[in-house]
Amino acid sequence: MKGLFKSKPRTPADVVRQTRDLLMFAGRNNDTRESKREEKMAELYKNIRELKQILYGNSESEPVSEACAQLTQEFFRENTLRLLITYLPKLNLEARKDATQVVANLQRQQVQSKLIASDYLEKNIDLLDILISGYENADMALHYGAMLRECIRHQTVARYVLESQHMKKFFDYIQLPNFDIAADAAATFKELLTRHKSTVAEFLSKNYEWFFAEYNSKLLESSNYITRRQAIKLLGDMLLDRSNSVVMTRYVSSRDNLRILMNLLRESSKSIQIEAFHVFKLFAANQNKPPDIVSIFIANRSKLLRLFADFKLDKEDEQFEADKALVVKEIASLEPRDRP
Amino acid sequence: MAHEQEECKKIQYPLDSSSYKILDEIGVGVSAIVYKAACVPMNSTVVAIKAIDLDRSRVDLDGIRRESKTMSLLSHPNILNAHCSFTVDSRLWVVMPFMSGGSLQSIISSSFPDGLPEPCIAIVLKETLNALSYLHMQGHLHRDIKAGNILIDSNGSVKLADFGVSASIYEPSSAQGGASSSSASRLMLTDMAGTPYWMAPEVIHSHTGYSVKADIWSFGITALELAHGRPPLSHLPPSKSLLLKITQRLRLSDYDKSNEKDKNKKFSKAFKDMVGSCLDRDPSKRPSAEKLLKHSFFRNCKGADFLVTNVLSGLPSVEDRFRESKILHKNGSDDGEEDSESDSATPIVKQRRISGWNFNEDGFELDPVFPTESKDEQIGKQVRFGGETVIPDNKSSESDNPDDDVVKQVRFGGETIIQDQKSNEPDNRGDSSSGSPGAAEEEAQVGGDEESEPGNREIIESENIGGGGGGGGGIDRETVVGGLLALRRSLDEQRQHVTDMIVLAGGEVAREDQLVQQQLIERLRMELENERQSNFELEMELEFLKLQISGASNSGGTD
Repeated sequence: MKGLFKSKPRTPADVVRQTRDLLMFAGRNNDTRESKREEKMAELYKNIRELKQILYGNSESEPVSEACAQLTQEFFRENTLRLLITYLPKLNLEARKDATQVVANLQRQQVQSKLIASDYLEKNIDLLDILISGYENADMALHYGAMLRECIRHQTVARYVLESQHMKKFFDYIQLPNFDIAADAAATFKELLTRHKSTVAEFLSKNYEWFFAEYNSKLLESSNYITRRQAIKLLGDMLLDRSNSVVMTRYVSSRDNLRILMNLLRESSKSIQIEAFHVFKLFAANQNKPPDIVSIFIANRSKLLRLFADFKLDKEDEQFEADKALVVKEIASLEPRDRP
Repeated sequence: MAHEQEECKKIQYPLDSSSYKILDEIGVGVSAIVYKAACVPMNSTVVAIKAIDLDRSRVDLDGIRRESKTMSLLSHPNILNAHCSFTVDSRLWVVMPFMSGGSLQSIISSSFPDGLPEPCIAIVLKETLNALSYLHMQGHLHRDIKAGNILIDSNGSVKLADFGVSASIYEPSSAQGGASSSSASRLMLTDMAGTPYWMAPEVIHSHTGYSVKADIWSFGITALELAHGRPPLSHLPPSKSLLLKITQRLRLSDYDKSNEKDKNKKFSKAFKDMVGSCLDRDPSKRPSAEKLLKHSFFRNCKGADFLVTNVLSGLPSVEDRFRESKILHKNGSDDGEEDSESDSATPIVKQRRISGWNFNEDGFELDPVFPTESKDEQIGKQVRFGGETVIPDNKSSESDNPDDDVVKQVRFGGETIIQDQKSNEPDNRGDSSSGSPGAAEEEAQVGGDEESEPGNREIIESENIGGGGGGGGGIDRETVVGGLLALRRSLDEQRQHVTDMIVLAGGEVAREDQLVQQQLIERLRMELENERQSNFELEMELEFLKLQISGASNSGGTD
């Protein structure tokens, strides 16, 4: 078998084809002898590594763009990606890592200035279901998670995930006890909600009710420190993004939201306090504060002003000080308004 | 086969703190504590738990995520894996196998102050190379190779630990927190991480980026560390920014003192050759980990049992060593290096000043009081190998100095192994007074060994005056720096001469009467030391002056 392939140098397309054949073999159940199977698996691992070397180059040589294009084209001409994702659990750790890097790289490869990976995924969007459910499998989570993050670089793919039922599951994945997996899920969640601005704005507008209800209760009010910290940071990133201004205006008009933010401001963790401030300031800066928001500010005025008096960053930050001064001024000058 | 390995590998450790019973503290870092603990539901298996405080403002969550993920996806007998990790309030607990021998750094400082015997070094280095070779093949850089990160277990197995600053060349974007993924060219990294003494030159001056070969340099430094008990140049402050925070160094440079003993210590040619190849200033000339493993130095390497009998037997426990080191270094700001897990427990990347603090071997104090450094300090800026000059290089610890015009040499036993005349890149920012360095150099050359000290002082003083007039109240820094650098250059040249003479003499010693020669060498060496002493004093004075200038000109001089 080895001799067969050694005779002449294989083209990148050859390597892809052979990988595909071997993956199909790996997918069949054990109808072959154990020794034979081992040999085939070893062959498969070698091929996957070779794919990686073509795409990334090695210490001696940079990747050749033409070889990369050839490889990419052959890879997506047939169902190699599906096979690779489906049978990933059957590979050993090293091959899984190689495969993950190959899949990641392929998402960025252009063939005739087109991202053909995007087209492929659009037609095979169910692959995303497999990748996302990887978070429920401790062995596969980090591999599938890394692939998933690369796939959602494509806007259509990100839109699919955002609008799918999977979105709700992320609120649980983020809080899994295994730190590596939870952190990976959080990174994907953040990517989904920040990368493609227009898609995100559309998603948040359409799904405002359930999304922020979940966000507040499961993440911002979580008992888990790291969940709260990541959630408040991400909330700030989302609301401060210009493209989400409509959502932001809506968010800062709710007294429930304000109550949650004020609780976060009182946390003992400095990091959480600071991130909370960046959202809290939006409530104060809102020029059309609803009366119930105004009355909360007035009722808590002295407490808030006292809090801000001692509120400092470790490092001097002019922007922060300026923001703080504005917030203080705004709160100090509020007058009780007549109810409309 | 691979399948089976996979299946029995992952024993799931419990993910809640109540399953673990803390037994003892074995390491402390800036934002982490390392405990020895028992995992109760698993037959009270002993584990090490690194508890990282995530609420420290410096801690960057993405960095921690990367470290944790890297660790959990690596699988190699010479790499310390995490069993699992989970959060406990604002702390991240990373549960790892307990390595009862502790770090090589802690072993050396407790029981082998003058370094390990060569056969032991060979074993440790070989195992470390296995790990490095695996890491590099995976596209990872470790970026903090040093004895403090090499751990040893009771059975003599050696593992590389601490991926706090590791990076993957396959994920260039993640290293920057998504800031600029395109800037880092593939297979090259540009941000700075690590601990200064072990850092490769190209990491410090990283205009061009660096690759896996930076780890090879650090590996070479680690070899010297194991051979001598401390890394080269370790009696110098780790960086200029740290220099500003030194009052005095408590311990003298034992490194130079131990050299007296080292003279009897003979290292094999193979060893010297191996280390020399790692310390080539040109990264492309350094061998890969893979290639190093085939070096003759590792050919007849002994096994783990040899380490058990020759290194581990009679060694105090990790806990005891940690307690001892805590007493020795009471200073809270010292980020103890005593235990592997203790020092770079903080996953701080890119902040060299902080990583510099890792270093505490000389018991640094950190309040800025200047410039009355104690007279008895040694300031030899030489790397030595068994009494021979290996790398006279006074630059590698001071990266941000604008001038690079220094002769750099690496020698082994008389023969020059590396000679690198790094010519001055013409970006000497605002070097307004090109005349004065030349003049200073001349002066210094005219003044002989004995006279150069007062002579040099004069130059500095006169330049201070001149600069003061021109700079409108302030002291002309550029001029002073230029003068001092020229001075240092000339000192280097002189030292070079003396070194050459020593070498020459050394060659004859073998044949003729040794005593006279030895004495001559000693005397020359003393003279050299004096030279360096005065040079150093001047440097300190300059630092002090700079401090004053920046203090006077503006209060916000951030450094």
